[in-house]
Amino acid sequence: MSHHASSRESSAPDHPLTRVIDRLAQLLPAQGPISIFIHHNTLHAFEHLPFEEAVERAADRLGREPYLPESRYREKLAAGRILVRDVEALLVEHLGASGTQDVAGVGSRLELWRAIVLHGIPAATGRELLWILDETASLSRFRTDLPANARSASAALSESDDPVREERQAVRRLWNACIEAVGGAGEPALPAAAAPVRHRDWLRAVHGVDTDAWIHPPLIRFLAGYLDQGLAHWSMPDRSRGIHGCFLEIYHSPLAAQCGHWARSLPWHVAGDRHAGRGALGSIEHSLTQLGVPAADNDECADFLGAELLALQGWAGIVHQIEGRPDRVPARDLTVTLRGYLAVRLLFERAALDEAARQLGFRGPLSELRAWLRNHLPAPPAPTALERAWPLFHVAQLCGLDASMVDQWTARHVAELESELRELDAVRQRRILHQAFERAIRHRLYDALVHHAPRALPGRPAFQAVFCIDEREESFRRHLEEVEPACETFGTPGFFNVAMYHKGASDAHPRPLCPVAIRPAHYVAEIEPEGDRLTGRSRRLQRRAAGFLGYNVHLGSRLPVRGALLMTAFGWVALVPLVLRVVFPWLSSRWRRVQESSIGPVRTRLQLDRKDTPPPIGSHTGFTVQEMADIVRRVLEDVGIVSSQSPLVLIVGHGSISLNNPHESAHDCGACGGGRGGPNARAFAQMANDARVRRLLAAEGLTIDPATWFVGAQRNSCNNEVSLFDEDLVPPACRPALERASAAIDTARRREAHERCRRFDAVPRWYPPVAALAHVEGRAADLAQPRPEYGHATNAFCIIGRRTLTRGLFLDRRAFLASYDPTRDEDGAILARIAAAVVPVVAGISLEYYFSYVDPSGYGCGTKLPHNVTSLLGVMDGAQSDLRTGLPWQMVEIHEPTRLAIVVEGPVDRVARVVQENPDIERLVRNRWIWLSCLDSESGGLWELRSTGFVQHTPGHPLAAVAGDSASWYQGKRGFLPPVAIVQASRLRPRADGAKAGPPA
Amino acid sequence: MMSSVPLTSLVLVGVGSPALLFALLGGLSLVNRPLPEKWTGRLTAGSVTISCAALSVALAAYGTTGGTRLLSYGAWSSSHEGGIAIEFLVDRLSLAFAALSAAIVGVVSAFSNRYLHREPGYNRYFVLLAMFVTGMLLVALAGNVAVLFIGWEFVGLSSALLVAFFHERPAPLANALRVLAVYRISDAAMLSAAVLLRHAAGTDSLSLLFGGAGAVSTAGLTGVNATIIGVLLIIAVAGKSALLPFSSWLPRAMEGPTPSSAVYYGSLSIHAGCFLLLRSAPLLEQAPAARLLAGTLGAATAVFAGITTRVQSDAKSSLAYASLTQVGIIVVEIAIGWYTIAFVHLAGHACFRLLQFLSAPNVLHDLHGMEDAIGNRASASRGYLDLVTSDRARRHLYLFALERGFLDSLLDRVVVEPFTRFARQLTRLDAWLCDAVLPRRRPILVEGGEDRDE
Repeated sequence: MSHHASSRESSAPDHPLTRVIDRLAQLLPAQGPISIFIHHNTLHAFEHLPFEEAVERAADRLGREPYLPESRYREKLAAGRILVRDVEALLVEHLGASGTQDVAGVGSRLELWRAIVLHGIPAATGRELLWILDETASLSRFRTDLPANARSASAALSESDDPVREERQAVRRLWNACIEAVGGAGEPALPAAAAPVRHRDWLRAVHGVDTDAWIHPPLIRFLAGYLDQGLAHWSMPDRSRGIHGCFLEIYHSPLAAQCGHWARSLPWHVAGDRHAGRGALGSIEHSLTQLGVPAADNDECADFLGAELLALQGWAGIVHQIEGRPDRVPARDLTVTLRGYLAVRLLFERAALDEAARQLGFRGPLSELRAWLRNHLPAPPAPTALERAWPLFHVAQLCGLDASMVDQWTARHVAELESELRELDAVRQRRILHQAFERAIRHRLYDALVHHAPRALPGRPAFQAVFCIDEREESFRRHLEEVEPACETFGTPGFFNVAMYHKGASDAHPRPLCPVAIRPAHYVAEIEPEGDRLTGRSRRLQRRAAGFLGYNVHLGSRLPVRGALLMTAFGWVALVPLVLRVVFPWLSSRWRRVQESSIGPVRTRLQLDRKDTPPPIGSHTGFTVQEMADIVRRVLEDVGIVSSQSPLVLIVGHGSISLNNPHESAHDCGACGGGRGGPNARAFAQMANDARVRRLLAAEGLTIDPATWFVGAQRNSCNNEVSLFDEDLVPPACRPALERASAAIDTARRREAHERCRRFDAVPRWYPPVAALAHVEGRAADLAQPRPEYGHATNAFCIIGRRTLTRGLFLDRRAFLASYDPTRDEDGAILARIAAAVVPVVAGISLEYYFSYVDPSGYGCGTKLPHNVTSLLGVMDGAQSDLRTGLPWQMVEIHEPTRLAIVVEGPVDRVARVVQENPDIERLVRNRWIWLSCLDSESGGLWELRSTGFVQHTPGHPLAAVAGDSASWYQGKRGFLPPVAIVQASRLRPRADGAKAGPPA
Repeated sequence: MMSSVPLTSLVLVGVGSPALLFALLGGLSLVNRPLPEKWTGRLTAGSVTISCAALSVALAAYGTTGGTRLLSYGAWSSSHEGGIAIEFLVDRLSLAFAALSAAIVGVVSAFSNRYLHREPGYNRYFVLLAMFVTGMLLVALAGNVAVLFIGWEFVGLSSALLVAFFHERPAPLANALRVLAVYRISDAAMLSAAVLLRHAAGTDSLSLLFGGAGAVSTAGLTGVNATIIGVLLIIAVAGKSALLPFSSWLPRAMEGPTPSSAVYYGSLSIHAGCFLLLRSAPLLEQAPAARLLAGTLGAATAVFAGITTRVQSDAKSSLAYASLTQVGIIVVEIAIGWYTIAFVHLAGHACFRLLQFLSAPNVLHDLHGMEDAIGNRASASRGYLDLVTSDRARRHLYLFALERGFLDSLLDRVVVEPFTRFARQLTRLDAWLCDAVLPRRRPILVEGGEDRDE
């Protein structure tokens, strides 16, 4: 019977419920297992809507915040990060012709909106309002935050002999006038209140009983146990029967009635499903009938099921993720389906509702519970006269009206004003302020790009280096160029077009290293050609021994007898690593490095050549020569290394290693699907060095100088360690260039560490550059460090174009930099493929940071401090909670939530065509999830895409130049820094375009 | 007696330095002038280091000599029958536990200083940590019931407040209330034991209880008296150390920041009960029934927690029940009379579990590292669960462990529900009485501003 049930759970694609559930699943967070963290647009399900509409709708539907709190925008306005002229420009654009209409004799719409948006109306209702009226100075003084002209009505007061009393009387007259105006006005328009959907919502609204608080703890325990990927020592029995099937087996027992005081009827409902042989869909249907929810093709059913899914959206989301990609989790005996989860959830829910109904004295069937509750729902109270007068009172102050003018208001005037206030509600004000905030950031970049003079490298570069587009490489490239002015740097997605499953010599399992949209076909293993010699073998044994020891201590400490022996005999020993890792993290990082280098694999190579042996995963072992040639040509063409080749080309991937950080993978390379890009860089270099590949490329017209050698490398963006691969293969002729590059990289990584330190609050402002590297190394090895690095925080721009346009420009680690040479791409084919690879990745990163910052505990996963790793799939808050998705506050706290501004170098028509032809990008651009503009290097102009088409940008700020190196600009400064041109002291010349030396005012 | 002079000062410094820290941090918070982060961190580190150093020196110098000394720092209240004095009972056991506590809190304060950097509750956390270490040292060194009780309360209160650290979410508050409620039961038992002790022996000095078998029997603490006091002490211990039937609060207490979970439920607070039991061993020796009870509770807890920890699929609950397993075994060791082994076990467990709790967020990193080193996925054996041959029994056992022995819902049904029902009736009675006695008042709304103008 139960087998029958499980087979039903995994079938029935045509069932109407299946379609409803599949559609609703789009609302769930799309975050997979946490150890393969892929940044994505948190609101992917709303991408078909314009950004503002989407975030506001999602905020309603999911109970989240669309923008920052109003107070944060007011702070930014006061601090000058939002400019009044931007707010004005946006209002003019938004109101259009209607801006000149008069409202209630107060002034034009534009004036009214401007005053409200810039100064705000404090929201207050109910008891809070009473308190404000009684206890604050709001009824005895005019608002003090208004500029003088808005307070002109009270200007005359200053001549009186008792100005305090005069002012109080004037304020009270105004307030009374507002009260009277409201009293004479018509009935207020009542906002439509959303009716509760689920039974639980009704119960809560009417009786304050929350059945979710009853059922969630055992439901979460069951789900976490079912989905567990190896954290628990005992896995759940009968997992292969699917969520619902397994649940029926285990909770069939009469013991299940003990799950809580509400669970009396739970075994009975479970038995009902078992005896009727219902599968998951059958069980859902049955539960819906029992609960009185109409059939699947009804909107109400979709609303109901959607609300059920969103009640524990993190857990429902991970169920949906595993259902879609079971290959991304290690446990193989699971049959995970969202319908299985829903079926179980509804069984729990019915048991709890039985008990709630019993407690409230409702005797009828559950299907009538909602109707019964509906009769008891109190009507929402209409706004009181005070609540209506309060905003008008502020409007009067904002517009400089006195009581006599307010006395003139008729009912129609009040209605007009109230209608304006409804349209310009708090969310709309935040929207406008947010748009102005973004505009200022974006325009600052445009100004810099327009003013910055391109810097081409004279002559042949000493070496070239290709990095990931990651904005964390912006600073590294800048410092490298400052240290070694004769080098040239490039940016391309950090998997270097090598999409593969890679298994390192000391890895247990292969892992995909490529963007998440690609399923790699090729499998590449790192091998130890000398691994069979004594050292290799003994190191392998040592690694295994260490692993077994670690595993047995991990396990033994959880078992009674082994644990008791271990603790009694060796418990004290734990003090050594404890003190070392907590008090002296830098020392422990050294110790680890020594240990790793002494038992790590010896001199490895990548097995890149095509082999006939079947791969453990993917469809081929290795690459054919033609495939390698295609990969190499594509990247070299993309970045524009096709003619001037230096003796050495470094290919630098990146990753990040940190401790006590469940979100470690979120710091890794996004283009490698949350993996580390070193192996890709190494594979690419090996391919480009291959004589067969070079011959093929030469035949296709791309000549690589025989004297050029490629070297792969990986940068650890957390501790700034740069490791080179296969150094021993570098030919003698290229060694001087390699030595020069290594020395430059060593200096650059120290300087870059120093620049990063300026954003860490715990580091003193004037931190000595020599100490910075040790500081970031300590951070990476520190158990107590919740901010090993700041990751992608502060990202705001993406520039697709030649490095000459941005070289020497201080972009504050905020810009993704992808290399693209528009002069070699008449038909836009190269731009099209670069955009397809770059734009979705950077948009995902930017939007995830946006949402995790504007609502850190709703879209983000809140503070890291109470996080509790569960099932090896994600984190919960504290003892138990919904699975928390998004980014932790410690990762995003220094971010500025702004949509990414993408600037593409090239003629407008080419860029427009490329965007038009890629539906994914076109949708993002059309709905303004990203901003797009073109920089035409020939004319030097910059065009931004607005709703009316491409509009040329008029630069506002001049670009300042700073003499020296990056440190001369950033040192001693904590917050965001505007772009400046860094000019080496010897080269500083007064420039014709008005730029001057020294920091800007 | 010459040597007792430096011992007196060493212990005074050892306890006084964290107590001063607590007074300073707490006092400044009371007047809403908290110190900046940097100073709080430095002061805590300094004060705990001084305390640890003083206690370690005392342990090294006097711990080896054996014997017990009662240090008195004067009485600050006296009544017709003795009074309340600050007294410390110093011997090898108490000094060792005190030094261990100071050392562990020192490591944890270094950890927390970076971990809680920029957290809005940073100052609150360190006030509570100072309260906790003061309480732990008082419990460790207490020479009379008053000192012991004050320490015990400091530990309990700071523990509950740290569970509620993230008070913007409802779950931590609910769980903190649960923890606090169990602690109150434990405190009540402790207080009753103290009153009975005073009644039976005529003094509240703990030198009788802790001072060895001779002292206990001369004070007349034998037979029924000893058994009743012993049982009450065991209830107090069971509440604080989460032994059965109180175990269900332990996983709920995992709401605070990771280092507070570590120091309380991995390392010190969870062992406070064991330590008290260890100290009152002379009394237990006079009360075989109480001793048997302790052994039974310990063994039952170890078995229960040992099964439960195996199915927990989140890092913190898994560690919480793993700790409880060892705590149960330590209690059994004490009941058997293996005092030295019990103390070594306790100390080793405190250090080891602290490390595990502090690196709980690292579990993914660690497990991947082990897998890579072993070269394969670590075997997901079900161990003893496979010994249970019947499918049905296996499912029952699994559900029992997953639901943590149903202790929580048992507690809800047996204690919480009757209590809230009773409280609701009292409220109703209250409302009825008030309605009958007091004149009806209506909320007075001040409508409009007209009548406010002078």
